[in-house]
This record gives sequence, C-alpha cells and structure tokens, in this order.
Amino acid sequence: MSQRVFVTGFGIITSIGKNAEENFRSLLNRSHGFGPIEILDTVHRNSISACEIKLTEEELCSLAGVKQHEGFTRTSLLGLIALNEAIQSANLSREEIKNSGLVSATTTGGIREFETYFDELMDAEKHGDFVRFADTATSGEHCERMADHVGIRKYLGTISTACSSSANSIMHGAQLIRNNKLERVICGGAEALSKFTLNGFNTLMILDNGHCRPFDAARNGLNIGEGAAYLVLESESALLTSGKKPMAEVKGYGNANDAFHQTASSPDGAGAYLAMKMALNSAGIEPQDVDYINAHGTATENNDLSEGLGIKRLFGESIPLFSSTKPYTGHTLAAAGSVEAVFSLLTLQNGMIWPNLNYRNIMPDLRIEPVVQLEERSKLRNVLSNSFGFGGNTSSLLLAFV
Amino acid sequence: MEKTGPYYINGVGIISPQKTFDPDNFLSEIIEYDHNVLTCVTPDFKAYINPIQMRRLSHMLRIGLSAATICLRDSGIKSPDGIITATGYGFLEETAKFLNEVLNQSEKQLTPTYFMQSTSNALAGLVALTFKCMGFNNTYASKGFGMENALIDGMMQLNQNPSTSLLIGSYDEAADVQYKASIRVGHFKVEYINNLRLFETKTKGSIQGEGSAFFMLSGNKSSSTWCAIRDVHMVYKPEPGELKRELEKFLSTNKISAHDIDVVVNGASGDVDHDIIINDLIHQVVAGSMEVRFKHLSGEYSTSTSFAGWLAASILKKQNIPKAVMHAHRRSPKKLETILVINQYMAKNFTFILMQR
Repeated sequence: MSQRVFVTGFGIITSIGKNAEENFRSLLNRSHGFGPIEILDTVHRNSISACEIKLTEEELCSLAGVKQHEGFTRTSLLGLIALNEAIQSANLSREEIKNSGLVSATTTGGIREFETYFDELMDAEKHGDFVRFADTATSGEHCERMADHVGIRKYLGTISTACSSSANSIMHGAQLIRNNKLERVICGGAEALSKFTLNGFNTLMILDNGHCRPFDAARNGLNIGEGAAYLVLESESALLTSGKKPMAEVKGYGNANDAFHQTASSPDGAGAYLAMKMALNSAGIEPQDVDYINAHGTATENNDLSEGLGIKRLFGESIPLFSSTKPYTGHTLAAAGSVEAVFSLLTLQNGMIWPNLNYRNIMPDLRIEPVVQLEERSKLRNVLSNSFGFGGNTSSLLLAFV
Repeated sequence: MEKTGPYYINGVGIISPQKTFDPDNFLSEIIEYDHNVLTCVTPDFKAYINPIQMRRLSHMLRIGLSAATICLRDSGIKSPDGIITATGYGFLEETAKFLNEVLNQSEKQLTPTYFMQSTSNALAGLVALTFKCMGFNNTYASKGFGMENALIDGMMQLNQNPSTSLLIGSYDEAADVQYKASIRVGHFKVEYINNLRLFETKTKGSIQGEGSAFFMLSGNKSSSTWCAIRDVHMVYKPEPGELKRELEKFLSTNKISAHDIDVVVNGASGDVDHDIIINDLIHQVVAGSMEVRFKHLSGEYSTSTSFAGWLAASILKKQNIPKAVMHAHRRSPKKLETILVINQYMAKNFTFILMQR
C-alpha cells in the first residue's frame, strides 16, 4: 500500500528572519531582506545588492549550536539552524531522528569556503587550519556534515538541480515514504551566498541592481538571496502510532523538463505546465481545486513569461490567486523550493496569501496579475508551489490543508 | 499493490579509464597507469555528438553525453521517459575555471559558459535537450551515495510505472583541483604506484579515477536486456557489527542465501585502513563466492558504484569473468546467476546491490 505523506514540522532561515516566526512576521509586514551586501567579501558590494542574512559565521555558529572553527561552511550552518528548528517543531525523539532520512539540496555547497581558501588549498607547501575546508567544493558535504551533527544515519541524499533542487528533495522524501522505504524524512535545502554564484548570475546578466519585480511589465532580473529551510515528512502509519497531528499533507508533486535550452525557459512554458499538471494529477485534484500558487516568479524576463503562460495553459480563464515571494527573500537558489514550501505551509496554517511586492503594471503578453495586498481566506485547501531551474528542470509541489 | 522490481537493465553505456565505450568489448585490453590519476579512454566523440553542439561542450559533458548516447543506442530507445544523473563532485573542472577567473580577475570579465556548465545538473539537462525528453529529470550530488540515490529514485518511479524506461547514470571527473585538495586529507596515495598493483600496496589512500556510465532501467524486459537489479541498499558510517547485520538482513529480505551468490564485486580501494572493513565483511558473510575487484582499473571516485554495476551486468550478460578483475576464484558454477556488489567510499558510504541474470 502506498502511504500518504504528511508535514509535521518545519524550520527556516532567510534574510527576513532566522526562524519560522520571524519569517511569518516579515511576510505579514511586507518587510523584505533586500539591501547592500555587508557580510560577503566581494568587489560588487557597491554595485549589486542582495538578500543577504546579516549574520557573521560566528553568530551563525552560536545560533546553530556548534563551536567555531570546526569546519562548518556557511551553507551547513544555515542548514543546521533550519534543520534544528524543523526537528524541534516536529518534536522528534533521538531515536526518531536516528531513523530518519535526510534529503538536502544545494547548488554549490561549501564553495564559499573553498573560494576563500582556494590559493592555500592548491599550494602543497602551505599548511594550516584551512585544510578543514579541503572537501567543501562538493554539494554532498553539507548533507553529511548536518546528518553527523544531528545524528541521522538511515538514509542520506543530496539533490542538485539548480534552482528547483529543494522542491525535488521534498519530492524524493515523499517518494521514499510512499514506497514504504522510510517512515520519516527531513527534506529541504541550504544555500549561502558566495562570490562564485553572485558572479555566475552576474555574468549571465540576469541580476536586477534594484529590488526585483516579479510579474511586472518592467521586471528586470532577479535578486540573489541565501537561506535554508527543511520540512519533516512523516508517513500516515507513523502518525497513527505516535498520535501526532499533521500540519499539512504533501498531496502531489510533478517533475518535468522543458528540454528547450541549457539556461532559459521555453517561451511557451511547456515544462512549467507539465510539472503543475503532474502535481495535480498525482494529488487527484482538478485545476479549480487550487486556491493559491506560490510561483517561482524570479522576475527575469524569461521565467515570469514562461511560467505565466504555463499557468494560463493549465488554468484557462479561472486562474487562482498567485504571487511570488522572491522580493522578500531574493532567489535562494537550491533552497528556494523548500523556503517557498514553508511559506506555502504558513499560507495554509494562517489562511493568508502573501502579496507580490513591487508589482505595478500588467505584462502585456501575459495579462494576468499577482496578489498585491495580503489576502485572508477562511478556507484554503490546496496550494501549488513552483520551482524551476537551469537545465530545464521544472518542479511543482501540491500542499494540502488537513 | 504496486510492483517492487525486478528492474531490468536494458542498455548500458560507459566511458572509463579502461576501453569500455564499445558495449561488445569486455576488458579484452587493460590500460596501465603509473601516476595515480586514471582518466577516461575516450571514443571519437563525433560518433555520438553533432559537431555544432560539440564545440560548446566541456570535456566531461562530451564524455557524459557520449555515454548516454551509447546507452540509448544499446537499448534501442530513441528518447527515455526520464533522466536521473548522479555525481560526487560535479563539473569540478568548469567550476575551477570559473573560480580561477573570479579570483584572478577580481570578479570582472568572466566567462558565462564556465558557470553554466559548472552546475551539477548540466548533463541531465543536456541529455534531455538532446533527446527531447520532457519527462522526469533529477540530479543527485551526494558524494559517495549519488548513484545509489539515483537508482533508488528510478526504482520507485518504476514501481508506479513499470513499463517506462529511465536513463540513469553518473559522472565524475579527475579534476586537478580535487586531487590537490583531497590528497591533503589522505584520500589519495602520496607515492606513485602502478594501478594494476593497487591491492598489493599497504598504505593509506587510493588512486583517483573518473568516468561516466548510464543504464537504461525498466520494469519490463526487452530484447536488449543485460540483467536485472533486485535491490539497492545503503549504510552510512556503520557502527561495529552493523555492516554484517545489514548485509544479512538485505539478503534475507530478498530471499537470497549467501550460497546463492556466485560473484561478489568488492569495492576495495587499495587504502590499507578502509579495505579491512569491506574485506572482513566479505569474509564473514559471503566467503564462498568468487570475488572480483575493479578499482585498480577505474580508480576511486564518488560514483564508482556505476563502474561496479557495469562490471556485474557485463559478467551476467557475457557469462565470463575477465582475468584482470578476478581476485579469488572460489568456485566454478555452471551458470553465473547472482552477483552481489559491495561498494564503499572512504569507508563511510557502503552500498549493497543485488543483481541477477
């Protein structure tokens, strides 16, 4: 029998808050994390702003409950902070943690530390403390590091599908539960700002130097952000045993590929359409059952048009309320899927739909408008959360009220 | 009730430090190395990639796309229903190129292509684009568990849709940056050795390898079926005695006795400390099976499980064990029916894969 999959806890850290409560307050108060870069050491400090978490490594270590100088990368520290909160919020015992799986996502893992000590690491003559970062240029390092710290051993996996990564973590976790391979999986992603990614996106010329404007006619690119978020997923049978009350259900998911271009979305949103449609199909619901879409909405020319057309194709004339929360947190890359899954859970729990900041004018070739003021609804049933990425990856999650 | 296997390997494509790109050739010629870094023996890429596309691709993307193409051709499938790739260190060569520019040109006038081709999912995206596959697409970058995650993901998809065909593969490259960084933490041997004498060494560390291998996995048999995968299991950082318990449980869950296992593929890496663990396990649980080893031919890398999988699939399909991989010839069964792969990475990530004819 395939198992139903429930969310029993979550944790999050972004530029708008270091836990779920702070993130919720910021969403409620329209306060965003966009501003000058102060922590990352880069020549672009005066020219590119970002949604940076204004905490030093020292402060992050203390929040994560680890000693300094033990070789935790910024990505791992952000991850640990969110992971610890998720574990607490689901009230997991030591034994339950040990028997959990951890599926985490990141694009570049500990590249920030690898780039900081690159010259030293490459010079065999040099010796010192930096050697603890010798293995951080791999995505998987952060997952093992976090698992070791909290004591997870049953199943480990790291996903790296660019900006859709952590939506795929949640999907993989749900699959493991549905297939009776695990009773409990903690899924999400973590991503720290680095020179590598900041410059990567800058060379692609898709960064907006101003505050990003998703779905606006004059949108001009994305803002890069950093953060981490994790969801605790548990099987129906685990909940029957523990009597724990779920927060929501992971009811469906879809993963497809645009197969159009290495870094651009197709002009007709074929991949976006497919991913959303598969999510609805696997949840066994109809388009009219969707109450809100937390869009990928990066505010690039290309993404918003492609995603918007995909939405129009699936929903026709009755398009559900939708918004992008990227102006709050920036694009947290591999963490975006789980960050926005948490925002969607906050939507379901509180009956609140987060406004799309900075929207002014309708896109002439799309003619759909996002939610711009906080909307309160007494009954929200189903929320779609979209995450797309380079390589044509498109993923969509369907989270439902229980 | 959904199906839970077996999962048939209906096509294979592999490019490795040995001459493996021709599916009909099974280690008839062995390549020796004497400098501890084993790099791919590559085919003429023009046979697999069109020249306009090729110009823009990094060396590793060419290797990966060629391996995927060989697999598709071997399986007789034009476009798979889904693509899952795995890697340990990703496209580290392109990552290093971009990083060098960032650091040496004070973050100015950088080459976007290096960045675009540095993302771990670049190969899965490229294969999808090349073969117009809009289906499921995923990439695992889990160090020593990437290929295992990919296989388990694929097997779960096939439980739901057994008639589909998924292209599942891995890539890792012997990048200079990784070598320089990893040798500091004891991943690789300091003294130069001949790769064919790897298992005679008594020192720490292994030799670096690389490679890309793809498998066409389906819940249905086809005319090109090589063998079947019954099950995959991972054990992370086992406590004393745990590996033996987990392996015995793995075999009993799959209703297999140790006696049924004709061949064990041993993922020993030539690291004197690490190999004790896996060799002891084999001695304790499957001492009566024939034992083959492969890391002297492939080198050590995070997704070496795919080389092990290719080796086991080839033995089952061709009913032949090349001399170069034979480590202990403990029996002579009439037919080679069942193979157990036991792989390990850095004595931290352990993998069991059960494969059958």
